[in-house]
Amino acid sequence: MKNEAIIQFKNVTKQYDDDPPVLNDVSFEIEKGKFYTLLGPSGCGKTTILRLIAGFTEASNGEIFFNGKKINDVPANKRQVNTVFQDYALFPHLNVYENVAFGLRIKKMNSIDIDKKVKEALSFVNLKGYENREIREMSGGQRQRVAIARAIVNEPEVILLDEPLSALDLKLRYEMQYELRELQRRLGITFIFVTHDQEEALAMSDEIFVLDQGKIQQSGTPKDIYDEPINRFVADFIGESNILKGRMLDDYLVEFVGKQFECVDQGLDKNEAIEIVIRPEDLEITTLERGKLQVRVDSQLFRGVHYEISCYDKDGNEWLVHSTKAANVGDEIGLYFDPEAIHVMRLGETEEEFDKRLEAYTDGEAGHGK
Amino acid sequence: MENKFTRNIYMVPYALWIALFVIAPILLVLYYSFFDIEGNLSLINYQKFFTPVYLKMTLSSFWYAFLITLISLIVAYPTAYLLTKTKHKQLWLLLIIVPSWINLLLKAYAFLGIFGTYGITNSFLEVIGIGSQQILFTDFSFIFVSVYIFIPFMILPIFNSLNELNPTLIDAANDLGASKWTTFRRVIFPLTIDGVKSGCQVVFIPALSLFMLTRLIAGNRVITLGTAIEQHFLVTQDWGMGSTIAVFLIIIMFLFMSFTGTRKRGI
Repeated sequence: MKNEAIIQFKNVTKQYDDDPPVLNDVSFEIEKGKFYTLLGPSGCGKTTILRLIAGFTEASNGEIFFNGKKINDVPANKRQVNTVFQDYALFPHLNVYENVAFGLRIKKMNSIDIDKKVKEALSFVNLKGYENREIREMSGGQRQRVAIARAIVNEPEVILLDEPLSALDLKLRYEMQYELRELQRRLGITFIFVTHDQEEALAMSDEIFVLDQGKIQQSGTPKDIYDEPINRFVADFIGESNILKGRMLDDYLVEFVGKQFECVDQGLDKNEAIEIVIRPEDLEITTLERGKLQVRVDSQLFRGVHYEISCYDKDGNEWLVHSTKAANVGDEIGLYFDPEAIHVMRLGETEEEFDKRLEAYTDGEAGHGK
Repeated sequence: MENKFTRNIYMVPYALWIALFVIAPILLVLYYSFFDIEGNLSLINYQKFFTPVYLKMTLSSFWYAFLITLISLIVAYPTAYLLTKTKHKQLWLLLIIVPSWINLLLKAYAFLGIFGTYGITNSFLEVIGIGSQQILFTDFSFIFVSVYIFIPFMILPIFNSLNELNPTLIDAANDLGASKWTTFRRVIFPLTIDGVKSGCQVVFIPALSLFMLTRLIAGNRVITLGTAIEQHFLVTQDWGMGSTIAVFLIIIMFLFMSFTGTRKRGI
């Protein structure tokens, strides 16, 4: 089902002076009421997209639409979006109540309504009773909540969150991830969340845009992006992965590390050079005879949930394995994986071509009676 | 490693300085204020201070100091704001501060030339058809020159507080719907009020006791407490009265300091 787009970027480029563009000809649509994440390493342009939507910076080229209207020239204070900043940007000279009430006071709302809305927003973020606190008396997590309350109290159509969890400690961060996701569901407004943390992105989003070097590399649901990364960058950036060069021998037959393996990909050229991805958790430790690959255990780290085991095959390729069972360093072991575990990536494929190919699989699979 | 003893030794020059040049003079001033012109111990000077002559003088000192401070502030705030927006702000700031290194007397004499009957200003006024005016020895010239002299001291603290302001706060205000003016009124100005306060202190307090400029530029038309102190010490030789005025001046300064005292707030 296709919802109407609330924000639309058409060939947007952002460039400072003669530097290489921060954003390079980016186009995308954001639908109403979903949780979006812009994910990428620092300097990939994700924050620039946010600033363009908020109106803090202007696009060098291209058009930005909000509810179907072009907003390139609409100043920030006239846009229906509110931002939760990375450093929260709470006003240090105002207390919690006045920080949250700031936007409403500017709208010249009467004080009874302001009071009602501020209290409502504060109870939404579990800060009831903190109205008269000074900002400096609040902890990092509480400031975070004030910043969120200050944004939602204005009832914007879109809330922009610029790495809002990066300053919190791990436990608090997990807690806030749940809270933010929950908040978005209750409010039903569009969230656009910027982060460089792939786990955060996978856990919270309806849709993820993976960005690198000013371009959207891939967009899709967390599962799509994790299971079907479009290229080496995405596969490497999202989760751990074993990426190897290979060759497509035929439909459902791929060759890498000098061996042939059954796979589920088809419709590629015969003998086409490709890259394959196998996630570490899809590799299963087994006996040498049963294993599709024979490797030697090089080192092992206990990660709590699983062991992270690094192995090398006789060609010197590293194989990362996630296993709940420990292995012995120095042992020769076999690795087994299902044909579905192999994900084939074409070199230099665009997102459109990639999507088309994925669709063809589903048709193909149906035809093969799988 | 520093121990308590060496730390105390380092304190000696500072303590000596404060004792000799701050505490001792204040005590001396206080001491002299209790003697009348004949050298008898009395409270006559304090009585005299509350006569209309001196009260009027106090009021006029306040009025001029207030005007000088206000005009300096009005000029300095936008200047400091623009400075923080320029590319080479430290260089521009330096250019504004440099004139304050020149001796006050030299600057005063320079203005005598500029504002004098045959000075540049009058020549200019004549050229554009307004004709020669009496500029020197007026309230205008006194305030103009005072403001000129005090402006760097006003700009500096305001510039610093503007420079420390987190620019994201301005984005945040904008994001919440505030126009430029509202952002200034509700965020920028309240957050730089400490700079404004210390700027006002640095200008208002010395302006209260200006005396050289009143003589040179205002031609003794403006009599401030500073002028009166100078006259009593150097002309009438009434050290007691001069000291009494000084005592009041010191009290006023302390009061002003405590009123504009900075209360640290913020994250």
